[in-house]
Amino acid sequence: MSATINPLANPKGGKKLCELCQKPAYLQCTKCRVTYYCDVAHQQADWNSIHNKACELLILIRSPAPLHSWQTDRDHHHMQTQKRLEQLMELSHAESKRRVSEGKYEEALPAAQLSLRCAMDVYGPNAVEHVPAYLLLAEANMGLGFLSQAEGYLSKAQWTTMKTLGCSQVILHQLHRTLGRLYTATGRYRSALLHFANDIFHASEEFGLNSVVSAGGYFLMANVFVKEEKPDIAISLYSQVTSIWHMHLSKMVEHYSQRGTQGEQHFDEAQLAEVDQMLNVMLEAQQQGVNTHQSAMLSHSLGQSALLSHSLAMFWFLCRDHSKALDFGRKAAEFSRQCEEQNSLAESIQSLIQEVEKHITIQQIPTIQQ
Amino acid sequence: AKLQDVEILQNIQFRNTLRQNLCVSMLREGFHRSFAEFFSLLERWRASREAAGPGSALWQQRPLEKHPRKLEPLREHLTRAESAERAGSYVEVYENYLALARFFSEPEDRWIRYHFYELSLLSAGKIKMDSGKREAEANGHMGEVYLEQGPLAREHYEVFYNLAVGRLWQDESGNTHHSRACMGLCRIYTLLAQRQLQTKDYRTAIQILTKAYDMAKEGTHTQTHVSMRTLAYLLSLSDPYQFLSTFAEIATGLDDAAGLGKAYKAIAKSLEMCAYATPRPSHIYTHHIAYFKFLKKTCPDFLNRSSVCVCVYARMCMQGQYDRGSDYFSQAYELACSLGSVPALRKAQACVGVARAHALLRPYSAAVVTGGPRSLLALIRWKEVREDGFVDSSGMWVNYSDNSEKGSKTLIK
Repeated sequence: MSATINPLANPKGGKKLCELCQKPAYLQCTKCRVTYYCDVAHQQADWNSIHNKACELLILIRSPAPLHSWQTDRDHHHMQTQKRLEQLMELSHAESKRRVSEGKYEEALPAAQLSLRCAMDVYGPNAVEHVPAYLLLAEANMGLGFLSQAEGYLSKAQWTTMKTLGCSQVILHQLHRTLGRLYTATGRYRSALLHFANDIFHASEEFGLNSVVSAGGYFLMANVFVKEEKPDIAISLYSQVTSIWHMHLSKMVEHYSQRGTQGEQHFDEAQLAEVDQMLNVMLEAQQQGVNTHQSAMLSHSLGQSALLSHSLAMFWFLCRDHSKALDFGRKAAEFSRQCEEQNSLAESIQSLIQEVEKHITIQQIPTIQQ
Repeated sequence: AKLQDVEILQNIQFRNTLRQNLCVSMLREGFHRSFAEFFSLLERWRASREAAGPGSALWQQRPLEKHPRKLEPLREHLTRAESAERAGSYVEVYENYLALARFFSEPEDRWIRYHFYELSLLSAGKIKMDSGKREAEANGHMGEVYLEQGPLAREHYEVFYNLAVGRLWQDESGNTHHSRACMGLCRIYTLLAQRQLQTKDYRTAIQILTKAYDMAKEGTHTQTHVSMRTLAYLLSLSDPYQFLSTFAEIATGLDDAAGLGKAYKAIAKSLEMCAYATPRPSHIYTHHIAYFKFLKKTCPDFLNRSSVCVCVYARMCMQGQYDRGSDYFSQAYELACSLGSVPALRKAQACVGVARAHALLRPYSAAVVTGGPRSLLALIRWKEVREDGFVDSSGMWVNYSDNSEKGSKTLIK
């Protein structure tokens, strides 16, 4: 799989550099013969990350252009290479994104680097298309704890967006969110808040005021306020997030019960983990509120807890984890009984519990028959 | 690192739009509700502009997001309201929303004003300590808002009235809330009654108008012409004599000259209309005289319009009393002369002529009927000279002033 090469034997002017660290290479991938590494560890890392998928594409892209005598042929070849580069960029980007969301940051890095390199080849040195790759690199680095590298990538990304007029709102929103998370991690809370504010603004511009995307921004912002010890602002932000998610999930459940679609995936893995974590954090915060607060805030906390438990129940119901859904549904019913205000909420909780129980019995019947 | 952040901030402020800067500055401090409010207002403006389409008046207007003078206070008050809400002091919330509602006073920002009046009503409902004063106020504002849009304001004004009745609350200008509520209700009832009149539902109209009148009486505000107008409707609808006493009461209790004039006119007119059904010429007569005397007292430019009316009205009351009728006609003629208005002059001339002819007719026919040498002589003499006078059977010489000659001659022609 790997063949040794000697740097001294390289043809003049053609330097062979390691795919990952850009140092002089001593190894060559025997499959494609166009990728080089400094040592086995790097080759292994690259293979695990992206090279197993990109190997064949790379042959076509990196092998020197054949001699065409016609201009049209040369143009055609160039076009084809560009197209393949774009394809590779998308492939590596998707791969890296998947790894990041799975939490395998180590494996995400080489893919993200490849994606960035392709973007540079396709769009030139300073294009806004690099930003997604920068963001992925930053996220992977943040995941690994390399904050200064992450900041470096992010400032590159920010510089690029600043120089580009009419940058898309989605990119800006993602950039500011990543920046905000970076500054939260480094403890620069004012900057973090500024970036989250920008993030929410762009997200609202793109997805609307009460979208789930901006709710994510609100949640991150609330966490910063918790760290800054401003619990009143954090609580108000949490309740905003809660109401947005509750509304969103209720709509989804309604949609689900109307259409009755089976097999449709509502959340992918990364979203699933994120939403679960977010709702649980808020529920815990509210339950702390229930335990500590005075009576004026108590009913508010209870109401929020009821909403959150209901949201979680709906969430697990949509993810077809019916036992969890049942647990949270009962919790929600308990909370709503305690706060004795939201009648419509209690009704929808009851109907959800019934629905879940129906599903559970349906699931149990085949197992009994077996 | 901090210095760097500040620099970036400053640069960003120049790069971005005002809207973004304000939104971000609100969000940074955690004012997410203010942000949502602000953002949705701008979105609403944008949507209504899109709906109006290019070329419309709204399209030509300067966008709301390019008015720093409007947006800055908007942000200021919204954030203050939100921090007050967090602290639980709803009075401050209410005051901030009210300030915003007052701030957007321009006609093109009317919808923003409505919006903030609604918000202030919502926050006023949460204030528990002031026994409903602010809720009453907010309802009053909502009533005004709906009154501008259409008579949907009844509920709000009724709540306002119920909250304010028996209280001594005052607004900045010193009016009590109670009287304001009464006035508002009076206006709404009048409007509602007008609707009923359009559908010719007179019974309910009268019921509503009676309510309006009660309100006007209860409010005891100086603008009594509201109640006047209300009464005028009542008069025109039902038996006028029932309300005559009330009407005269108000009219005499007034210092308002124009209002008094309107009152007399309304009475005279309604009486005139009823005169066909129930002939009571003496009533009509006296009210016309009262109206005329009043006109004489007030300014001459008021006469300008009214002298002609007097002529016409007097025709009614001269049934049977031609000599006095023609007396008033000549006064009207004089007035028309002094005013120098040709159509008024002509009308007066014609009226005088008619009156004179009628006045002449009675002694003339009497002379013909009685016969005898004296009356025959009188007839012959009159026929010879065709004078404007006639010696009737009693031997009295009926004569008129010179300026009425033209009148009778035009008539004879």
